[in-house]
Parts: sequence; C-alpha cells; structure tokens
Amino acid sequence: MSDILQPATGTRVSPRLGANCPGVLLVLLAVLCLAISINSSRFYAIENITGILRQCALVLIIGSGMTLLLITAEVDLSVGASLAFAGVIAMDATNQTGSVWLGAPAGILFGGLVGLANGIIVTRFKVTSLIATIATMMILQGGVFLYSRQAIQNGSQLPAFSTISTGYFGPLPMPVLIAAIIFACTYVVLRHTLFGRYVYAVGANPYAARLSGLNPERLKLIVFVVTGLLTGLSGLILASLMNAGQPTAGHGFELTVIAAVILGGTSLKGGRGTLLGTLLGVLILQVINNGIIILGWDQELQLVVPGFVIVLAAYLDIVRRRDNVR
Amino acid sequence: MTRRLRLLFAGAAALAATVAPAHAARMPKKIGYVTNYATHEWYQNVIKGMKARAAQLGIVLEVRDANLDVNREVSATEDFMAEGVDVLIVTPVNEGIVPLVRRAKEEGIPLLLEGSPVKRMTAMVATCDYDTGYLAGIEAGHYTKSHLDGTARVMNVGLPLLSATVLRAHGFMDGLRAVVPGATLVNDIDGGGNPDTALAASAAALARNADINIIYGINDSSAQGGLQAWKASGRSQNNLLVVGTGGEGLGFIHAMNTEPAYRIEAAMFPEKEGFTAIDAAVRLFNKESVPQQIVSPSAAIVGADGWKKYYSVAGNVRTIKWDAVNRLTPPAKCMKITGGF
Repeated sequence: MSDILQPATGTRVSPRLGANCPGVLLVLLAVLCLAISINSSRFYAIENITGILRQCALVLIIGSGMTLLLITAEVDLSVGASLAFAGVIAMDATNQTGSVWLGAPAGILFGGLVGLANGIIVTRFKVTSLIATIATMMILQGGVFLYSRQAIQNGSQLPAFSTISTGYFGPLPMPVLIAAIIFACTYVVLRHTLFGRYVYAVGANPYAARLSGLNPERLKLIVFVVTGLLTGLSGLILASLMNAGQPTAGHGFELTVIAAVILGGTSLKGGRGTLLGTLLGVLILQVINNGIIILGWDQELQLVVPGFVIVLAAYLDIVRRRDNVR
Repeated sequence: MTRRLRLLFAGAAALAATVAPAHAARMPKKIGYVTNYATHEWYQNVIKGMKARAAQLGIVLEVRDANLDVNREVSATEDFMAEGVDVLIVTPVNEGIVPLVRRAKEEGIPLLLEGSPVKRMTAMVATCDYDTGYLAGIEAGHYTKSHLDGTARVMNVGLPLLSATVLRAHGFMDGLRAVVPGATLVNDIDGGGNPDTALAASAAALARNADINIIYGINDSSAQGGLQAWKASGRSQNNLLVVGTGGEGLGFIHAMNTEPAYRIEAAMFPEKEGFTAIDAAVRLFNKESVPQQIVSPSAAIVGADGWKKYYSVAGNVRTIKWDAVNRLTPPAKCMKITGGF
C-alpha cells in the first residue's frame, strides 16, 4: 500500500537508464536544444521560443488532464475531436451573445460535458475507455459537421476573443500563462493533496483502493470531467488563435497529447506518472517539431521522429517497471 | 395555302414529337457523385453547384463521401455501378481508383472525374491550378510594386503531397516573378491544408525567416493559418500581403473584410465547378466528344470588396452571382497540368 501511495516514482534515483525519467528527459531536451541551436541561430530567437511555448500551451493544458487520466489507468481519445467542437461552440456562442464572457464558458462547459459523458460510459456502463472514447471521437467528428458545415468566423470581431490567444501578460503570451496556471494547480493537486494520492491508488490497484474505502468510479468520473474541461479550454484558445471555430481542427491532436504524456513517463497501465515528466514530454515533442522546420528538414519527419521517440519512451517504461520489480 | 400550312404544322409537329422525347432521353435520370471529403467547404460548395444544375435539368443526383479513404471511394463507386446510375462523377482520393476507371469503360458507364486527374481517365472537370496561382501571382506582383516597395519575400504554406497544390504554388511564384523578377521563395512549408497545422508550421517558419512579406496559401485554411501565426507573433500587418486560394467558403470573405493584409484571393468558384461537372456528365452520357480536361474558370479577386463582384452574403450563407461567374472565360487549355497528363 505504501508503494501505491507513492507518487514520486519518477524522481527515484537509480543508476539504470530510464529509472530517473525526468532526468533523462531533461538531458534529452537539452541535447535537442543544443543540437538545433548549433545548426540554426534562429532557434533561440525570442519569437521562436514564444512560438514553441504557445504551441506547448495547448498540448500541456490537455496533457495535464490526460496525465491524471492515464494514472488512473484510463485514456481519452476524444480530446482532438472535442477540442475542435468546443472551439466551434465557443465561437458560435460568442457570436450569438456578443459576449466573450458567455461564449468562452460555453466552449469550456461543452468540453466538460463530453468528459462527463465519457466518464459515465466508462464508469457506469463499464465500457473500456479506449472503446468508449473512440466512439465519442467519432460522434464528435461527425456531430461537429451536423452543428456547422463550415468554419464559424469571428463575426462580432470582439478584441477580447483574440486576446485569449494573442494577448500578453508581461512578457508571457496569454496561452502560456493559462497553461502555467493549469499545470501548477494540477501539480499541487497531484503531489500535495489526498485527491492526488487517491488518483495514484486507483490507477495502481483499483481493488485495493476500493478495499481502502475509496470509490474508484467516482474518482475516475471526476478526472474525465477535468480532462474534458481542460480540452474545452484548449479548444477555446485554439479558436481564438485561428480567429474562427474550425470543425476540421484537432485531427490527431489526441495522439500528440498522449505521446507527450507517455514520453513523460506516465504508464499506460496506470498508477505511475508525473506532471513534470509530461511537461518535459510536451517540450521535447514541440522542440522536435519546431527544429524540423527551423532546420528546413522534410516535414514528414514531424511524424517519424516522435514515433521513434515514443517507442524509446515505451521501452524506458518497461525498463523502469523491470527495475521496480527487482 | 391551307394545305401548305397544314403540311407545315404537320411537319413541325412531327419534328417536335421526334425532338422532345429524344431530348428527354438524352438526359441521364440519375448521376452518382463520390466526393473525397464532403465535410470540406470546397466540396460542400461543389455539391451545391451540382445540385443546383441537376435540379434545373431534372436529374437525380446522389452524393456519397469517401472521407479521404480510397477503399471507401472504390466501394461507394462500385455500389453506384451496381445500382445502375447513368453517369458517375468521382473526385479521386488518389490513383487507387484507376482500376475502377478501366472497369467503368469496359462496362460502358460514363465516368467523369472532378478536381484531379488519374491515368486512363476519359475526362475531368477542374480549374487550372497553375493558371489560378499564376493569375494571383500577377496581381501580387502589382501589389508588391505599389505597396511593398517592390520587394517580395514569400512564404508558401503548401501541401506538397498533392500535385495540384504544388502547381498552384509554382504558378503563383511564376506569376509574381513575371512582374517582380527578384521575388524570392523564402519558405516552402507543409501546412497540411488545415488551419491548425498551417498555424503551427507557419509559426516556426516565421521565426526561421523574419523578413517574409508575402504569405501564399494553397487553400484558404493555409493562408489563414499563416496569417494567424503572423498575428500571434505580434507583428503588424502593415507591410504584409496574404494571398489565399480557392474561395472555399466564408473564411476568405471574412478575412478580406477584416484583415488589412488579406488582399488577394485566387478564387476557383467551387459552385461553378459543380455546375460544369453536371453539364459535362450529360455530354458524356450522350457520347459527345469532350476534351480530356474541361476547364472551370478561376479569377484573382483583389481588394477588400473584390469578392462582392462574385458573391453575396446573408448571415452565414454565401450565394454565388452566376451572371458574373458565367461571364468569366476559362482558358481552352491549362498552361501547365499535373505530370503525365
């Protein structure tokens, strides 16, 4: 039980490769940054750093929720489709009401409702989350076109809507600030609250958690809703960034998010993972994406390279598990 | 006199009796259209144009979507063949439909392609991708001279996987260089044809080359993704020109209305392409001789209000101004087409 309630597996010191996940990722990130900057001085340009961070923000916001979800041994493959739909809802509601203060919550709430639906299907109907969220993804991908056959433009041209993505708070782009706040809150909840420990406990061994008086279904439902709300928030930011609700957006976004979380050391089998690892996973994938363009490489590598990185991450996860068994 | 008149009326009646049924018989009863991506605004408007023309001619038009999956496209087309449609129209996902083209020929079913060519095709309705880019490039050249001090440093937000979109970009650069010989293609990136991918790729490309002053998008989503990346980086639109391609939906109209830099649109009038496709399908059905590429017109729309010549907008619905679009004369032959055709 003490092992179950030990969230900080990623920080355990071990001489074996992969045992210290954030450390390895940090080194990998540093090597990547160094290698790219040696070949292109533009990599460290403020504009480029800001661009990378802005792209990271969208992934990190959803990635924070996805980390919780994967730790509970569940997954949500509908986040890409929900992201697009939430953006469309937010834009449409903003246009209809003429108010960002009504439109923005509508998009976030929509994401939350999708999360709630996923949670109910998984915890009440006992459908595995992989199947349930693939089904939800399909419903959302088709549903968004039933809702609107075309992109919903920022008809009311409210400056506040654009500010959500293009505004700055001091030197920080607004999406980066939002992502930082979300990350910090999730980090505190996961590391320093009873709820966070329950998340690990439920993911590591739901039967033991139930015997300890926890309600795994309720906890998973909450985590699904949180992930949904964060997806809605990301959808809102994306719609603001594109100045339109785009039904075609978000394709493959779920894979980017899950790849980053897995790369960060969160186990698909649950019970293990850190938000710090997720942050590093997000940064590594976005730096790779950015580096490929900055270096003028073939952009197909944006799919190929992360694929190899994920295989490596999965292997490191196996190594870590093997170490823990020993 | 009476006899002559009677003979004349009798002759006219006989002619009318012959012509009217023949005319009715020459019209296909049902046309099956397999599109490759019905949720895209471009294809929605192609379908809109097809439906309008089919309704005028009294033809039943049935549409099925391959959703970018060639297997799905093949089975949808085979279903139409089994149902016995009179003419097939297909927008190819890729060359995977070549065996179907052969089979349709063997079975005597007229098959018309829309948008992209494949080997062994009988006929295709499409705009000239290269020419469309070229026309926009010429206008961009004039704009460069009058607004950008004659300097053109271009970022192409492209889609290298599709030969048609590569042709557009080549056409644009050639047109631009015809007016501004020193125009440079600084960045040629893959925006995936989607706004969010285009935005992400453009953000990195803009950081790589800070001195870009023209963004060319191979479709409207790409152009808008590039522009949004520009805006997100905090730059002013003062010395920027954005050129979109397609005129797919409301997006370009909105951008021309609200974004100071979005000043040129290489419009390809999807409604007109759909309209032309139905007419071509009727000609194929009647075994008329048709050119291998039937060209649908395109035009460069310039300035904030340029779109109003061809479209009107009410709420979220745009309506094509057929008179203006029908006045456009498409070239008899494209300047350049996809390799092998």
